[in-house]
Amino acid sequence: MLWRKMVRDVLESKAAYLACLVVISIGLMVYTSLNLTADNLWQAKENFYREYGFPDGFATVKGIPDAEIRRLAALPGIDQLEGRIVQDVRVVFPGREESAFLRLVTVGTGQEKTMSKVKLLAGLPLDPHQPGIWVDPQFLAANELKIGEEIPVIIGGRKVFLEIRGQAQSPEFVYPMRNAQDLFPDPRSFGIAYLPLPVMRSLAGEGAQINQLIFQLKPGFSYQDVESWLEPRLERFGLLALYPAKDQVSNFILNQELSSTEATANTMPLLFLAVGAVILYILLKRIIEQQRGQIGTLRSFGYSSREIQAHYLSYPLIIGLAGGLLGSLSGLWLSFPMTAMYQAFFHLPGLQGNFSLDYVLLALLLSVGFALLAGYFGSRQAMLLSPAEAMRPPAPPSGRHISLERWHWFWQSLTVQGKMATRNLFRHRQRSFFTFVGITFCFSMIAVTGYFNNIISVMIFDQMTKVQTHDIKITFAAPLSATGTRRELLKLPGIKRVETLLEAPATLKHGWQERETVIIGLGRDAELFNLLGEDGRRVLLPERGLILSSQLAEALGAKEGTIITLESALLRGDSISLPVYTIIPQYMGINAYMDKEALSRVLGQGELATSALLVAEEKALPLITEKYREASQVATMENRSQLLENFNEMMATYGFTIWILAVFAFITGFAVIYSFSIVALAERKRELASLRVLGMTPGEVLQILTFEQWLLALAAMLAGIPLTLQLISLMAQAMGSDLFTLPLIFEPNSFVIAAVGTACFILLAQWTLLRQIRRFSLVEALKERD
Amino acid sequence: MEVILTGRKLSKSYQLGEVRVQALRDVDIQIYQGELVVVLGPSGSGKSTLLNMLGGMDKVSSGELFYRQQPLHAMDEKGLTRYRREAVGFIFQFYNLMPNLTAWENVHLATEIAAKPLSAKDVLIDVGLGERLEHFPAQLSGGEQQRVAVARAVAKNPEFLLCDEPTGALDFETGIQVLKLLRKFSREQKRTVVLITHNAGIAEMADRVLYMRDGRLDRIRSNENPLAPEEVSW
Ligand SMILES: Nc1ncnc2c1ncn2[C@@H]1O[C@H](COP(=O)(O)OP(=O)(O)O)[C@@H](O)[C@H]1O
Ligand SMILES: [Mg+2]
Repeated sequence: MLWRKMVRDVLESKAAYLACLVVISIGLMVYTSLNLTADNLWQAKENFYREYGFPDGFATVKGIPDAEIRRLAALPGIDQLEGRIVQDVRVVFPGREESAFLRLVTVGTGQEKTMSKVKLLAGLPLDPHQPGIWVDPQFLAANELKIGEEIPVIIGGRKVFLEIRGQAQSPEFVYPMRNAQDLFPDPRSFGIAYLPLPVMRSLAGEGAQINQLIFQLKPGFSYQDVESWLEPRLERFGLLALYPAKDQVSNFILNQELSSTEATANTMPLLFLAVGAVILYILLKRIIEQQRGQIGTLRSFGYSSREIQAHYLSYPLIIGLAGGLLGSLSGLWLSFPMTAMYQAFFHLPGLQGNFSLDYVLLALLLSVGFALLAGYFGSRQAMLLSPAEAMRPPAPPSGRHISLERWHWFWQSLTVQGKMATRNLFRHRQRSFFTFVGITFCFSMIAVTGYFNNIISVMIFDQMTKVQTHDIKITFAAPLSATGTRRELLKLPGIKRVETLLEAPATLKHGWQERETVIIGLGRDAELFNLLGEDGRRVLLPERGLILSSQLAEALGAKEGTIITLESALLRGDSISLPVYTIIPQYMGINAYMDKEALSRVLGQGELATSALLVAEEKALPLITEKYREASQVATMENRSQLLENFNEMMATYGFTIWILAVFAFITGFAVIYSFSIVALAERKRELASLRVLGMTPGEVLQILTFEQWLLALAAMLAGIPLTLQLISLMAQAMGSDLFTLPLIFEPNSFVIAAVGTACFILLAQWTLLRQIRRFSLVEALKERD
Repeated sequence: MEVILTGRKLSKSYQLGEVRVQALRDVDIQIYQGELVVVLGPSGSGKSTLLNMLGGMDKVSSGELFYRQQPLHAMDEKGLTRYRREAVGFIFQFYNLMPNLTAWENVHLATEIAAKPLSAKDVLIDVGLGERLEHFPAQLSGGEQQRVAVARAVAKNPEFLLCDEPTGALDFETGIQVLKLLRKFSREQKRTVVLITHNAGIAEMADRVLYMRDGRLDRIRSNENPLAPEEVSW
């Protein structure tokens, strides 16, 4: 019987319980779907890595003879070591302007046992005597290529046609990025191709040397051990980079995605569950307050207080169960499309949705747990009430002067409605507090969302309009003479300005801290590459000394004036020391900058250029691209419009997830305001009805309720501003990697967006209230004491 | 005398699940300017329902109801709200004050929406609560609360007052005080007061008494010499 009473009670305020249900469901949907997706991702990664052998370490050198490799393989701690040639080559698609690249990676052909294998997805085995390649399927799809067709590439200045023999995937290129500076992969312009070493040599010249080593550790040895043995031995072969698996770009990003997904999966839902629990708590308190008489009657029948509390616990239980089921099952369902979405980002064969009830059960447990907790605290009152006490009506809500009234000037400025609302805020402290917290959080979540959306545009926009203002960047295959190149480029039709850069990969050391980076040498009169200081003004290059990006400076623990040791394969001597001239904020990339001439002097190789920045008339751009596309000295050509396009594409996918968060925040905010308003409305039905009798319109009555909400909302939004900044700085720390920093700047736009969003959900909630106020019958509300 | 309210064949029924309750049946009624009317009848006879119809709290099921020339039966909720705001002052058995507002604020709240309100403070002084302006309802006795309610209704300066058992929850002495206020309003301002009671004694102070029974207007009695409130007894 009591069960039936509960069902009717819940149905009576179904809207408020529904709001609560939705919030809980969203939380658990996020929980289940993200956890399942992360599991799928993790499982696929583990399987693929194990089956196809992901190396423990990588070393890139300029060139090493084959005989040396066998010697290195015998080093203690190394289980297996293999050499390969890795070389990026330009693809010259007929009639296409943008540049595209293939990274050629040599692999075994299957006859010999190799540690790092490539999974052939479709097509034929490789033949060591035939210039055929396997290509990653994304590149093929993005460029509409099929097995059997040929790809024209430039190797060693020659145009060669490579036959596509198959589609293949290696665990090392699950997330193929051309270099770590890129923000995301672009399969149209960059792909991986696998080919046998003999084929590579026949294409690149018989003298082509192994330039990358991959190795597997023996059990019991750490990467650090092996590194210290390998490093000195590789030095003389022009060691460019030596890094463990965790720093390998594709693996690094995959792991980062995994851990951030897991982190979101385990924190976000708690937020929603907490909100749901608070709503339940308030609803339950309200219903018990209202049903005092009924409780008294039940007690007088002989129901124990325990049974009564159990009865009231059945409300949250049913909501918890329903929310848990709804959320976790929809999460289970959602994990399939989400996993599929990841397939587009991470090319893990075997990545697929899995049907698993584990998280469904966990989610149910979580939601029932939270609901019962809320229920327990919400219904404690009912248990403490003695039967006689319960039968008496509750003490009438007593008006009270509040301390705020002592501020006369403020108090007098309020209308009577205003005074009523303000006193009410203090009368229902708990509810006001939760509303306040709820609005603060939603405001902050929307603001954070807006901030990220804005800031990324700001970063890119800044980079493109203030820092790098060229139209085209040409990177040379090998350093060229700076003056000669400049003179040559200036002859191009329509060209307006040419500046050359000298980029030198180097290791910077300070104490025990060190970082691999690229030192960019700029002309002192550079206009196409501007270094901007903290205040946004140009920083002039010093004659001697380095300018560091703030990220790099932090990584090295360097300050202005710190002496940095610089090592580089290009350096003829051992190493040199340079002072830090100044540090500039830089959102993307960890670079060091130097005067071009000073850098040339340090390197002692004369005045060189590794790339050139061009500004030209718009109509001349295609001509220039066309002219240099196939030139052998040109390694890459980067067009700004192409960059922008890529960026916008990424924002489309990235922005989507961000907005989902904002929508969730919006729903949560709405649910809190809405359910609390409904409670307030029910509680004060009589009071509000008598205002209607006095002749107030529904709108005027609503104002009394909404005045409270706006007052709270205003305070909550103000409190939300520092909270937002705090959240952003926390997230910036968590998300900022070596590659880019999130600038912590006050972005008023995002607060405006958040305020508008918050106002929207409050208005929406109020609009539904207005409809209820219109509907309630005055006669009923005033008829008798309830 | 001028007629301010005219009802013809007023009926009101409520649908309670399966059953239909006929609360008012074909009531013909006229209320005049400046009179004090008492509606008398046993509990459940439709007194409150009638009053609610007259006050524009709800719409009649059938029949016609005019406030002067205006057809209340044809008005939408907006029109009825304006009517309540401008013409009607309500007083209930359970005062229905805002627990959250002081006496003065309660009255002031009503004057804020009225067209030609009286001063809230003056009216409260009039009802003898000049010392209680800053008190909250919970700090006032029942009689005092009802006087605030009267002040609230009067301060709007309405055409007439509708009172649903205003003394129902009060003891004799305080009840008389409230009746005196209502009488004063009617005599001094020449305004109409309609007062519901199931208490025959109170009827003696009325100019006219309407007897209700079973949703019908049973009979009407005119009272040539109404008693003063302090003379009535129950
Ligand atoms: N809102 C309502 N819903 C259903 N029935 C009602 C409602 N209001 C009044 N009634 C019924 O109408 C009849 C008259 O009620 P009412 O006018 O309140 O009588 P009185 O005020 O004379 O005691 C009663 O039978 C009552 O139960
Ligand atoms: Mg009644």
